[in-house]
Amino acid sequence: MELDDLRRQWQRPEPAAPLALTPSALGALLARQRGGLVDKMRRNARWETALAAGIAALLLVALPQTRNSLFRLYGGFSLLLMLGLLYYYYRLLGVLRQLAETSGSVRGHLVRLCGGLRQLLRFNYRLTLATWPTLLLLIYGFFVGRLLAQAGPFRWQAVAITGGILLVFGVVVQVGVVYFTRWYLQRLYGQHLDRLEGQLRELDDSSTPAG
Amino acid sequence: MATATAPSADFLAALHEYQPLVRRVCRLYCQDADDQQDLFQEIVLQLWRAWPRYVPQPDAKLSTWLYRIALNVAISNLRQRTRRPASVSVEDEAWHLAQPVEGSAYEPEETAALYAAINRLSDVDKAFVLLYLEDRPYDEMADILGITQNNVRVKMHRVQEKLRKQLVRA
Repeated sequence: MELDDLRRQWQRPEPAAPLALTPSALGALLARQRGGLVDKMRRNARWETALAAGIAALLLVALPQTRNSLFRLYGGFSLLLMLGLLYYYYRLLGVLRQLAETSGSVRGHLVRLCGGLRQLLRFNYRLTLATWPTLLLLIYGFFVGRLLAQAGPFRWQAVAITGGILLVFGVVVQVGVVYFTRWYLQRLYGQHLDRLEGQLRELDDSSTPAG
Repeated sequence: MATATAPSADFLAALHEYQPLVRRVCRLYCQDADDQQDLFQEIVLQLWRAWPRYVPQPDAKLSTWLYRIALNVAISNLRQRTRRPASVSVEDEAWHLAQPVEGSAYEPEETAALYAAINRLSDVDKAFVLLYLEDRPYDEMADILGITQNNVRVKMHRVQEKLRKQLVRA
């Protein structure tokens, strides 16, 4: 039996005609449906954007009210960081919007998904790798700033020891972060990306003989 | 996040008309009834989201647009599925689908074997099989899949070869 023989059977009407979806039933179905991975990522990105915007707003309100110049400086740094994060989430949401578009051809959709997921991997990897050193630098800078603000001779020894401890601790944690991030991103996106790229290769591959 | 905006009457009419098409896509890509229903809901959600951007064109059929979205969702399904053991085996399901057709020259066993062979194909190959079974011409298949008509012919030939080999082995 061949596919041609199956056609007639395939196209025969279902024994029970499908039920017509009423507006309320369809509305309920759409409200219940939470979507796939891309939808989940968009929801997470929106929450994180709202959180970053909330912190930025709080900083904007709190900064003019503080008299301590060190807190002002660090509040300013934090505000800049939040603005950077907001730009990052803006770009991220743009990529996720593209991924959610499904009305193009199958090949075009696969190309877009592969490109988008690769971009997301790069985004998340760079952001995660930059977070820990930035945080340590801020902590160290804050510590040195507090020492500078104190009366009396500057404690070079404390600065050097704290710097050394933070450096060693930072490097050890950063190595762990690199390995964990790679494993986590591979688990989160990598398997999907491998599958999608395989499908794209399969769709494009029409020049080599069938195996 | 899915919003609860009421679907328009024209969307409902189109969905009613093409619901069997969407169900057939789900049937080909999922063996488990729950997975079929999940895929159906996901396709409907994507159709509904894309509907406001759908512009009817004289040289493009609504069915082409629907096949694109349904296949895109089915093939690139990014849903993190819970891998539960299938309650119905592929062969059982194939047997269930292979109901005798009036006047058919083939035994249900042969039909079941072909369904089982189709189930073992990759998601991309299943798209070719689906469009072939749906009797879509090569130019429309090329339009839906985003490859040239020549590639469609070559790939279709290979898919049929794969099915023949699987049937011989079975």
